[in-house]
Amino acid sequence: MREGLAAKEALPDGRASDTGRSKMFAKHVSSLTSAYCHDELSPAESRRVAEHLIGCPRCRVEFEEVRFGARLAAQLPVIEAPDSLWRGVEIALDRNGRRALAGQRPRAISFFMQPRFALASLVLVALVIAFAAFWLRQSPRSTVAGWNVARLDGAPRIGAALVNDKGTLGVGQWLETDTNSRAQIRVSDIGQVEIDPNTRVRLVETKPTEHRLELAEGRLSARISAPPKLFFVDTPSGVAEDLGCAYTLEVDKAGNSLLRVTTGWVSLQLKDRESVVPAGAACATRPGIGPGTPYFEDASETFRAALTQVDSDHDSSGQTYMTSLKIVLANARVRDTLTLWNLLPRVSGSDRALVYDRLAALVPPPPGVTREGVLKLNQQMLDAWKEQLEYRWSDRLSSGLLKTWRRTSANALGKLNGLEGKK
Amino acid sequence: MLEQTAIYAEQRVQSSPDSIDAGVIRACQQGDREAFRVLFEAYRDRVFSIACYSLGDKTAAADVTQQIFVKLFTRIGQFRGDSEFTTWLYRLVINSCLDERRRQSRFLPVEEFAPMNKSVHREPPETRYERREIAGSVREAIGGLKPKMRLPILLKYIEGLSYEEIASVLGCSKGTVASRLNRAHKALAKKLGHLRGEVA
Repeated sequence: MREGLAAKEALPDGRASDTGRSKMFAKHVSSLTSAYCHDELSPAESRRVAEHLIGCPRCRVEFEEVRFGARLAAQLPVIEAPDSLWRGVEIALDRNGRRALAGQRPRAISFFMQPRFALASLVLVALVIAFAAFWLRQSPRSTVAGWNVARLDGAPRIGAALVNDKGTLGVGQWLETDTNSRAQIRVSDIGQVEIDPNTRVRLVETKPTEHRLELAEGRLSARISAPPKLFFVDTPSGVAEDLGCAYTLEVDKAGNSLLRVTTGWVSLQLKDRESVVPAGAACATRPGIGPGTPYFEDASETFRAALTQVDSDHDSSGQTYMTSLKIVLANARVRDTLTLWNLLPRVSGSDRALVYDRLAALVPPPPGVTREGVLKLNQQMLDAWKEQLEYRWSDRLSSGLLKTWRRTSANALGKLNGLEGKK
Repeated sequence: MLEQTAIYAEQRVQSSPDSIDAGVIRACQQGDREAFRVLFEAYRDRVFSIACYSLGDKTAAADVTQQIFVKLFTRIGQFRGDSEFTTWLYRLVINSCLDERRRQSRFLPVEEFAPMNKSVHREPPETRYERREIAGSVREAIGGLKPKMRLPILLKYIEGLSYEEIASVLGCSKGTVASRLNRAHKALAKKLGHLRGEVA
């Protein structure tokens, strides 16, 4: 292969040689420079390139160019995958597991891959498609290209049209309520959303693997019974992702939003910032910044006011910030470890150490989770600690029971509705 | 059994591609979910990064990454060890990303992604800012490269694959990889010439 690299170089060299250039220039090395930089050449080739570069200004310029490009490319960072990813994989695996294992049997695969079955399979597939098309045409569900909307009060509108008692919200359409009107949206067959007065929502997407609303302004209350990662609400300051729950979400004129979860869990995200909010907790988000630190609504007023200050103060070296952070830590209860755990990646340096110490005093970390690791934001350690903390964030169920319940309900609903978590 | 679970828990904490050995892969082939979690933790950020840079959209990248791991687990029984596991995995990653791009049938601009390198937190804010600025420019420039040039760059710099491994993943010759990387490096240097002197 290395000879191959050199052989490719011979083409332009031949042309250069024909024009009467010296022998040295007949062996320009410009196409080998990346391989040279990456130490991918044989010792002999590497030596030849090095010697050539000393005497050939043209190749040296190209080499410098390639080396600079390589240095730039080396700045490319690895991006951290969202933590929610494993949950989604597990759900998909739970649903597909049996089928997948069956699919691993090589005999079954080779049997169906035999050419004589290919034609028969094609005919069969064509028949199935034809039947499905016929059935879908007959099915009343296929004619509904959107969600059913029911008027609750006043005169809500879909686009310019008034909703009398019932209407359909199509993909891309806006539903608006004025001061006196309210409406209820049926989210496919997975739940419902109540739209309060002075609210604008748009149906962005509805398909078996994803249902998405946009809340531009106002307030909605969602109650979803479906596997996680199926229902999303976009707001100007982040995306609320349902993890099997009920919640209210409101957006003000400036695009700030406030999420309050009544049952289950909701994830709020903007770019790399994510806050997972359990029942009884709330979380504010701001445009361009994303989710703030979640907190329990029964936390003291002092705690909440100081947390707002910590979230909004960009000058982490300022006196106000430090005072607020200390108030948060001093007033934190065991349940407020939700806030402290979420604060860890949001503060840095000595502030993170302060948060760690308070968190560890309230609930000591499990074995294997070290101070040093947490201060370095080791994700596995953070997750392990979070698992231990989760049941303290729940009023009714231990974390184990909670997980089992979430998994079971997700599976059961998935089977009932033919739904699956977003792939 | 408990002992094996403890080993997996330890491997999860220290997970990196180097921690994946034949035993983990064999356990995955036998449907062991814990072993698969170890595999997932070892590769999740790298696979997600490739998807992010290939698709230019974090949400789409998360979807594709999830699909890739589901495919990986359901097809891992077909992995016979004829090639390196990483080659086999990244072939799946690249094909899935290309399929997704074809499905989207449009190029999405590269979003601003948060880097994972935690060591940067120890640097002074101004250094961190500069590094982020440079990384942002590089990301944008790489997003603008043609897939033929972008994919070898990602496999080289995100995954750290050798030319031979890249060639095997992309199904081309080692010479083609060298040539594409050469062109990609030159294109980056041309686009980001203004950063000369700022990149060590």
